[in-house]
Amino acid sequence: MLKRFWMLAVLASIAAVASLSASAMTHVESATPGVTKGQIVIGGTFPLSGVASLYAPIPRGMEAYFKYINARKGKDGKRGVGGRQIVWKYYDDTYNPATAVQLHNKLVLEDKVFAVVGTLGTEDNQAVRPFLNQRKVPHILVSTGASFWGLQYKQFPWTIGWQPDYIAEGRTYGDWIARNAPNAKIAVFLQNDDYGKDYLRGVKIGLGAKKNLIVSEQTYELSDASYASQLARQKASGADTWVLLTTPTPTVRAIATAKALNWKPSTIVINSVSAIDNVMAAAVQRAGADFVNGAISTSYLKSVTDPKYANDAVVKQYRTLLARYGPQGADANNQFYYYGFAKAYDTVRLLTAAGKNPTRASLMRATQNMNWVNPYTLKGIKVKTSKSDRFPISQIRLIRFTNPNWTEFGNLFKGR
Amino acid sequence: MRWVPVGLKAAVLAAAVALIVLIPQWAGEFRLGQFTYVGIYFVALLGLNILTGYNGQISLGHGAFMGIGAYAAAILILGRDGLSLAGTDPPGWLPEHGMRPIFVIPLAGLITGLIGYLFGLPALRLAGVSLALATFAVAVSLPLIAKHYETVTGGGGGVSLPLPTTPFGWDISTPHWLYYEAWTTAGILFVVAWLLVRGRVGRAWRAIRDGEVAAVSSGVSPAAYKTLAFAVSSAFAGVAGALFVIQVSYINPDTFPIGLSILLLASAVVGGLGSLSGVIFGALLLEFLPIYAQNPPVLDFSFSKQAPSVVFGVVLILIVLAAPGGVASLLRRGGRPVRLALARRGSGPSRLAKEE
Repeated sequence: MLKRFWMLAVLASIAAVASLSASAMTHVESATPGVTKGQIVIGGTFPLSGVASLYAPIPRGMEAYFKYINARKGKDGKRGVGGRQIVWKYYDDTYNPATAVQLHNKLVLEDKVFAVVGTLGTEDNQAVRPFLNQRKVPHILVSTGASFWGLQYKQFPWTIGWQPDYIAEGRTYGDWIARNAPNAKIAVFLQNDDYGKDYLRGVKIGLGAKKNLIVSEQTYELSDASYASQLARQKASGADTWVLLTTPTPTVRAIATAKALNWKPSTIVINSVSAIDNVMAAAVQRAGADFVNGAISTSYLKSVTDPKYANDAVVKQYRTLLARYGPQGADANNQFYYYGFAKAYDTVRLLTAAGKNPTRASLMRATQNMNWVNPYTLKGIKVKTSKSDRFPISQIRLIRFTNPNWTEFGNLFKGR
Repeated sequence: MRWVPVGLKAAVLAAAVALIVLIPQWAGEFRLGQFTYVGIYFVALLGLNILTGYNGQISLGHGAFMGIGAYAAAILILGRDGLSLAGTDPPGWLPEHGMRPIFVIPLAGLITGLIGYLFGLPALRLAGVSLALATFAVAVSLPLIAKHYETVTGGGGGVSLPLPTTPFGWDISTPHWLYYEAWTTAGILFVVAWLLVRGRVGRAWRAIRDGEVAAVSSGVSPAAYKTLAFAVSSAFAGVAGALFVIQVSYINPDTFPIGLSILLLASAVVGGLGSLSGVIFGALLLEFLPIYAQNPPVLDFSFSKQAPSVVFGVVLILIVLAAPGGVASLLRRGGRPVRLALARRGSGPSRLAKEE
């Protein structure tokens, strides 16, 4: 008899399923998914929890900016984008590509987003790219610096990146070393994957004929318990310029290890992914400010903590808007909120450029005709694309570290 | 033993099968995909329940065994051609051409079962917590191993599989096909699991679970049966991994994190250890709770957006508190008064006595 209750349970789940699917079916599809008279729905996935949750402020910064756009009256006298309120749906993929795939299914099939914007992580974006391209869903302004977002547009025409790519950034370092230290002895320490290799390719392109300045190339795996043997070899190579093509935690470990080995290269290059405040603070703590002062990196956004921008109108407005529209207690000194603002700015520009009655195709056309100044980027940088150039931001400026800030120096470098 | 009329059991089973067949009629595409994942988790949890529920061994590495099955499937589907297209430099001993996903599923199960068997040989000499730690070590090391052998696995960057399609020119949509593929596999493996646990092997497993010394004195070899349970359970996980990678069309080491292994065990406990039918509740939970926790329609407080995993954890704790023996036992317990009443009204005290 007890099995009767299994039957009840089964019936209950039937009812639950039926009600769930009924709600799904009542949704009437409009001509362009995600676009109605009053709304435009966009979405993306980000690591809000887990190993990469330091990036969680990015979608929240975007959210704050979209709220601002929805509240203010634009040049056309309407709120939002041409009178349409932006609905921003973002989910936690915990940096797991399989989760990202399922959540993008949800975004496209259930939430019916108009476009996927800003999804974070090279692997996560790689995992969702075939599905989004098959469904012809715009997959734009992805938050990763891999070069193939801009390079593989023939195969994946619905995908486009945003920030300067790793090859472009690597070129900047190579070019700078070749020009300013033509007799340098370079040791490159890189993560043994596409990320590190993309960077290294860029460094070599930048060095050009001076490629042989590299006297030592050592790699590490994320699983390595210690970098001592690799770095001892780099020290023995007599290198005076140390190029770190590493992710945040390994960067701190490498610097601490070099300090322990008593190796102090005169010039240290830290790639931009790792040249962030908490990495630098940890590096200073482990190796001392003297060790890391003078380190070189690159940037394309204004640094919110740089005293130079304390009175900058854009940065000041960012602080006001984040306080008003951002999550409670958001730390405006966290550069990732600012990154979210910068990305949201270009998103709004694109949605506007997609026309009065935006379609997915018109949005993609807009991504190929970007030509404007994003006020959140450094002075002189232009957001520019064309049919054959799918790298929205490709100009970079070198920055130098003096605890606790980075300062810009030199001219803008065109990475592409 | 509880007494269950065979007719009723068959009726419930028929209802369940009918439900599974009918879901695609109602469900939208995304919902259908979710039920496909439920089928996949169902297979994995069946295997874990055999190991933990029926044989009393705790595995904290089942996500990793899914991962092994998934990698095996991905490599067989791609072949050397596909892997070099994906940008790796595959070794020569791999088959040149990829195989159809549908044929890869049983192979992935066999390969994972074999690996599970080999792992079980030494590991199962350990007991209880030590074994749990050994399996945890598998979960920890799988991502690192996958990153190390990047010519085969694509390393940290992973590999994409071709998007799934309906095979043999059958006239159903791909999401429907994937759904039926997952649930047909689940159905077959459910029968296999049922045959195993109800027969001699299952008796031996339970005997070992309930008292190893007693089992030995009855002539049951714990080592042999424990290893067998581990191999069967790994094979199930491997099949689930293969189905998973076909559904996701992408694999890298982050797809099978340690958290998955822990969630699998938690879901097995929630469903009910030692109950094959309870597995379905664990599978439903594993699929729907994390998605629900992303954006809870009922609990719409802003905190949930900050930490979906916290919501997930709290709900999990509540379920376990309300039903320490799993959902299966809750239903059993909750149904008791009604069951008694029915029995009294139905066929009198003799039946009741038999049931208790």
